[in-house]
Amino acid sequence: MKRKVISALLCVAMATTLLAGCGSSSSTSTSTEAEETEETEEAEEAEETEEAEETEATGSYAGQKIALVGKSAGNAFFEIAAATFVSTVEAEGGTVDLAYPEEATADAQIKVIDNLISQDYDAICLSANDTNALQAKLEEAMDAGIAVSSFDSAPNAESRQVFVNQAGTTAVAQALVDAVYDITDGAGQWAILSATSQASNQNAWIEAMEEIIANDDTYADLELVEIAYGDDEAQKSTDQTEALLQNYPDLEVICAPTTVGIAAAAKYLQDNGSSCKLTGLGLPSEMEAYTGDGDDYSCPYFYLWDMEGLGSLSAYATMALVNGEITGALGETFTAGDLGEFTITEADDGGTEIVLGLPLEFTPENVSEYAELY
Amino acid sequence: MEKKSLWKRITGSREALLALILILLFIIVTGFNSSFLTPSSLQQLIKNNAVTMVMALGMLCVMLVGGIDISIMSTLALSGMAIGMLLKYDYISGTIVPFIIAIAIGIVCGFLVGLVISRADVPPIIATMGFMYIYRAMGYLISNGGEWASASALGSFSDFATTKFLGLNCVIWIVIVCYVFFYWFMKWTRTGRKIYAVGSNPEAADVSGINVKNIKLLVFTIMGLLSGLGGALQVGIYASAMPNMQKGGEMDVIAACVIGGVSMSGGRGTVIGALLGSLILATIVKALPLVGIGSLAQNTFKGVLILVVVVVNIILQRISDRNALKGREM
Amino acid sequence: MAGKSGRSINNVPENPVKKMIFSWEGILVLLLIAINIFCSIFSEFYNLSSLLRQMPVYLAEVFLMLGMAFILVMGEIDISVGSIVCLSATLACLVSNAGVPFPAVFLIALLVGTCCGIVNALILTNFQELPPMIVTLSTQIIFRGIAEIVLGSGGSVSVTNTDGFRAIAGKVGQVPYILFLVLILAVIFAVILGKSTFGRSVYAIGTNRLTAYYSGINVQRVRFIIYTVMGTLCGLCAMFLISNSYGANTTTGENFEMDAIAMAVFGGIMSTGGKGNIAGGVISAIIIVCLRVGLGQRNVNAQVILLIIGLLLICTVGLPNLIKNARQSLKKS
Repeated sequence: MKRKVISALLCVAMATTLLAGCGSSSSTSTSTEAEETEETEEAEEAEETEEAEETEATGSYAGQKIALVGKSAGNAFFEIAAATFVSTVEAEGGTVDLAYPEEATADAQIKVIDNLISQDYDAICLSANDTNALQAKLEEAMDAGIAVSSFDSAPNAESRQVFVNQAGTTAVAQALVDAVYDITDGAGQWAILSATSQASNQNAWIEAMEEIIANDDTYADLELVEIAYGDDEAQKSTDQTEALLQNYPDLEVICAPTTVGIAAAAKYLQDNGSSCKLTGLGLPSEMEAYTGDGDDYSCPYFYLWDMEGLGSLSAYATMALVNGEITGALGETFTAGDLGEFTITEADDGGTEIVLGLPLEFTPENVSEYAELY
Repeated sequence: MEKKSLWKRITGSREALLALILILLFIIVTGFNSSFLTPSSLQQLIKNNAVTMVMALGMLCVMLVGGIDISIMSTLALSGMAIGMLLKYDYISGTIVPFIIAIAIGIVCGFLVGLVISRADVPPIIATMGFMYIYRAMGYLISNGGEWASASALGSFSDFATTKFLGLNCVIWIVIVCYVFFYWFMKWTRTGRKIYAVGSNPEAADVSGINVKNIKLLVFTIMGLLSGLGGALQVGIYASAMPNMQKGGEMDVIAACVIGGVSMSGGRGTVIGALLGSLILATIVKALPLVGIGSLAQNTFKGVLILVVVVVNIILQRISDRNALKGREM
Repeated sequence: MAGKSGRSINNVPENPVKKMIFSWEGILVLLLIAINIFCSIFSEFYNLSSLLRQMPVYLAEVFLMLGMAFILVMGEIDISVGSIVCLSATLACLVSNAGVPFPAVFLIALLVGTCCGIVNALILTNFQELPPMIVTLSTQIIFRGIAEIVLGSGGSVSVTNTDGFRAIAGKVGQVPYILFLVLILAVIFAVILGKSTFGRSVYAIGTNRLTAYYSGINVQRVRFIIYTVMGTLCGLCAMFLISNSYGANTTTGENFEMDAIAMAVFGGIMSTGGKGNIAGGVISAIIIVCLRVGLGQRNVNAQVILLIIGLLLICTVGLPNLIKNARQSLKKS
């Protein structure tokens, strides 16, 4: 009995000493870095970035090592932007590594960022799973001399240098409100089917939409009856859509600013031949079968943005950050390849952002063309 | 006298109690929102929960032998994603072929799980937890790192979910056929009875000449088969295949079975119980937004209601057990 | 005492060195060495300082493993722990933002966790017929649901005063405080499980509940204590999670129960009850951390890492059994 416990304790002790042993052996086998303390490492990295800044005068982005962090694996929406991000950076001579958390949670993303800090990246560009939770790790990354940019979904203002916004929050909200106004002919009940309650993008758009409606008398006759959450699951989104219709028989429009939600709702409305129409934000390839004029289709038109442009612009913004062309301060300008010149503006959350442009409208005429792309 | 025996029969049978709970739920929800109890609404209820309902049958078999399977939704994602990608890149078309492929993938997945559990004596929860990660990862890998197969990519495959046969949606027919088949299978076939035998007392079953290992292999293969079917149904009903579909849904299936009176230690549970259990769970989930519970509070209510149903069931069971004992004493 | 070590390949003779190597814990230590060698070759960034820097996030989950070990040894399961972590993290952030001093926040987090544990324990001990899986499944939904209600729309909160959380995330040299805490707690829990009467009764319950009951063990009291302590550990885990994220949201702690169970099972603690010890669990936890850090440092797809962990789980439990079965059938013929 006693021996067992002692051996167990021994094992723990062994394990820890082993760790130390392996650590030092690996450090001798690789470089000299490991034996130095963390502070000197940081100093070294800071030096490196300074060196990089010096070389930047030539205006070249070559040799940059960038990490791109997604919300979760298996998200078609993110993949499109990621593909152009990678090709843009590689065309400029840099390298990109894609890193995904195991799950679409902030906890899992923290582990990924921790991993990236260990790997001397020049920059981390991420789409955040939660606004607040990444602050500690991203600050640590910035302290280590890593440039931090974000796109699609922003972490809070303190934890990023710059955010590339696919389309201004107000612009998206305005487009959606106008679509609702147009489809309802100016008056009637409408509802929102969102993703999860903590999805930061969706919440920002919904908030902006509510504000627009409250402040403009044009929309006085629109009645927002409910905000439902489908958790980005087909089954729950369908349940919620059905409940909306049963609770509000006079519902005229559902606005779903989320890709999974809009597809599930479109499928339900179309299959049941409901008179309620749909608009929102969706992927053209997912929505192709439901977009059309007349009663056979559930969605007259919907929006998204230029996904490829988003990837490309984020790539240029990240490379410019590493180069020191921009620091993320308000009013700075930089050239993003073929996309032209962009200015850094103030974001709603008090940080700074670069706005790509206006949302794209997908109508029955152009949806199949875009469906080929994404 | 006759009335008393009827009352006794109702309180004595778990299924009757569950049916009572279900009817009570129906009445309450209809009181809040009359549109709940319409034929189209009820059809939608079954259609939107077809996946859970069909897979509850497999979980019933697994739980009858004292096992559990939490890899089912990963199997579903793998098989669903596989046919989604095959349809998207035009390797296959139509409705029957994808169904066969999905079911075949499901059978293979289930068979592997069954092998590990029956031959290597790995506890079911551990084995299926491992396979949960493995199959889900394979689902991601075959999706080319995150492609989705959308409605237009699926072509005519998903049409079955919108066509009606004899006034009922085809999905509902599939559910009905599954339940009728399993009712017959579990009650009237030798293999079905063997599953019960293994669950009630594995040693006794072994001694009486039943190959316990093969029965275990069989139930996990059945579970895999139904998961594959569930994959095809999921892709068809929602006209979309994504690698992360139904993540976490295995708990709904398990909850449906437990609500339906299926014992987690094996040996007890019926097809009718599984049906009523999954219907009760489906009704709870569907009813929450209808009775005017705010969207943020819906999950809490769902949890509380599951707990209440399970606890009430236990209390009623205790009462009926006590009554049965009383009868014996006299 | 047979069956205390997780799994034995063979009945090896008395030689203590041989015995140690052939015990499950011995094999785990060898595996740990192998994985460390592999990782340091695989990733150029894998070394002690990077490992120590990345470790705290994973170590928070080891607290859960300690409690889960007791529950698994007892032959039960608790899948509500991730949600308890979520709820106590949420409430801790909210009270901290309300200006409550840090030590009180810490206590409140522990208290919230303990209360949630007591809820589980009360239901489970009052309705013994109910399987723990279904009870903790519903409380899993409920606890996270309460956090969702408390957080409201937005579903996320950040702490404004991070001083206290920065303090508990501190380090002695390069070694984070949490590592010391994990090791100290592991020793305490190992001693309780392995040496105390209480620990023996846990094994007894796991081996045969009825026999344990008739031999005078107050089964329900033991269960009550264990589920309550599990809740307290969740509160502890929540505090260290906040020290890494300065906030909480509705997905905090999601799937932590699976991680905790995986660590424990990999460490030789059988979910069928009555077997395993804490030492194995701790070593396996370190192995999983090393593996995740090492593979993660080369940006191996997270799904592939999960696939490897899944395979490891099945193989570590399945292979010894297969070998044993093969030997037995050989002996028979």
